[in-house]
Amino acid sequence: MRQTPLYDEHVSLGGKVVDFHGWALPVQFSGIVMEHLHTRTKAALFDCSHMGEFRIHGQDAVRAYSRLVCSDPERLPVGRGRYGAVLNDEGGIIDDVITIRLAEDEWYAVTNAGPLEKVSPLFRGAHSGIEDVSDTTAKIDIQGPSAREVLVREIPEAANLKYFNARPARWKNIDIILSRTGYTGELGYELFVPEACAPALWRALLEHAEVEPAGLGARDTLRTEVGYLLSGQDFDESRTPLEANMESFVAWDTDFTGKEALLEQRSRGGYAVMTAIRTEDRRAPRHDFDVKLNGAVVGCVTSGTYGPSVGHGIGLAYVPQDLATPGHALTAGPKELPIETTSLPFYTAGTCRK
Amino acid sequence: MFPKDMKFTKDHEWVREEDGVYTVGITAFAAEQLGDITYVELPEVGAEMEQGDSAASVESVKAASDVYAPVGGRVCDINHDLESAPELVNQDPYEQGWFFRLEGVRPAQLKTLLDADAYEKYVGEQEH
Repeated sequence: MRQTPLYDEHVSLGGKVVDFHGWALPVQFSGIVMEHLHTRTKAALFDCSHMGEFRIHGQDAVRAYSRLVCSDPERLPVGRGRYGAVLNDEGGIIDDVITIRLAEDEWYAVTNAGPLEKVSPLFRGAHSGIEDVSDTTAKIDIQGPSAREVLVREIPEAANLKYFNARPARWKNIDIILSRTGYTGELGYELFVPEACAPALWRALLEHAEVEPAGLGARDTLRTEVGYLLSGQDFDESRTPLEANMESFVAWDTDFTGKEALLEQRSRGGYAVMTAIRTEDRRAPRHDFDVKLNGAVVGCVTSGTYGPSVGHGIGLAYVPQDLATPGHALTAGPKELPIETTSLPFYTAGTCRK
Repeated sequence: MFPKDMKFTKDHEWVREEDGVYTVGITAFAAEQLGDITYVELPEVGAEMEQGDSAASVESVKAASDVYAPVGGRVCDINHDLESAPELVNQDPYEQGWFFRLEGVRPAQLKTLLDADAYEKYVGEQEH
């Protein structure tokens, strides 16, 4: 297993380390529910150094990059970030990506660990101005309603950064990238820092009384409660943005790989669509559960868990289009757990836009 | 590290006899492995169990798993507190976190189970 620069920190904090896409990462420290609730009420730190990062230098490079990403990153205003997806020729989702425009001629792309072996050659092969900086970049997320007040003590540039905005910043004379984004639904930031300074920044942030470390387990329950998709689990190349409910991130007026296939799928119709599902009690639907209507299999669950902040079972499932609206009674799994389709987010009190 | 007044299964249930009534739960090791427990499904009072029958199920944030009857018998009581407070299984697995009670148990079946020392040794092997 590969170790992030924060591996020793996780071990010394008592983190329970697991294999996540070949990376040794903590699934929990004090416990998933406690870390989850701490993120919703104070602030938590997450090590996301396993993720992929790319620098895109110059107009020609971003033009080439924009043909690989469905959300028109080329026309982002400076200082803004945008969610999108990298598709194959059939419209299947290779990965999702957040692109940030750092300057007039400088962009930054953030992708996931699982598909990186495929995404990296694809991006680098598109233009010589696209550089994979994953191996030298650590990523620390600070998430929670207290994140701003904590972070400004270390990085004053955080003070006025708005949701989905990003900028270069400095911490102790080290150049970093600060992005007002995250994977929890809470007010928070993603910090992209040189590997060597990651442990010092991690420790500095943990010194603040409001901050606790959190692992992949809480990251997963937090993102599920707000309906964020997990690459490789909620979608892969067998699903398109139309199926995964990403149509609002598709820039139809641009040209990108997979566009023809998406247009054809849209006009043909009849595809499965991602919907939110919930249970009536604390039982949870689970990844890979069949979804049934009147005893017949009609779909499958891709994510499911107990939602600590909502108090019932929640999940994401692909079902036929006519069932992908709120209020349909279905069952999930071998025990035919009663579920109902609903709308996202499950947790509505998130502070991410505050 | 495991209580001496009870017997254990390799599926990590415990059973303790008091005046002919056998109380069943899951061990601290099992609760720790499952992580935060979020739901416990209990059998109906009056249900007849054979040794090894699936008797209850337990869900955590991470996973769901079955709980088996360590001995056969008739369910005479269930722990209703777990319906609203399943975290009791994590907090106090041998007292407040018990699952159900059996009567009409054939005591000979207990001999097929592990004592605390044997269970501790078994758990040690699981961890490595």
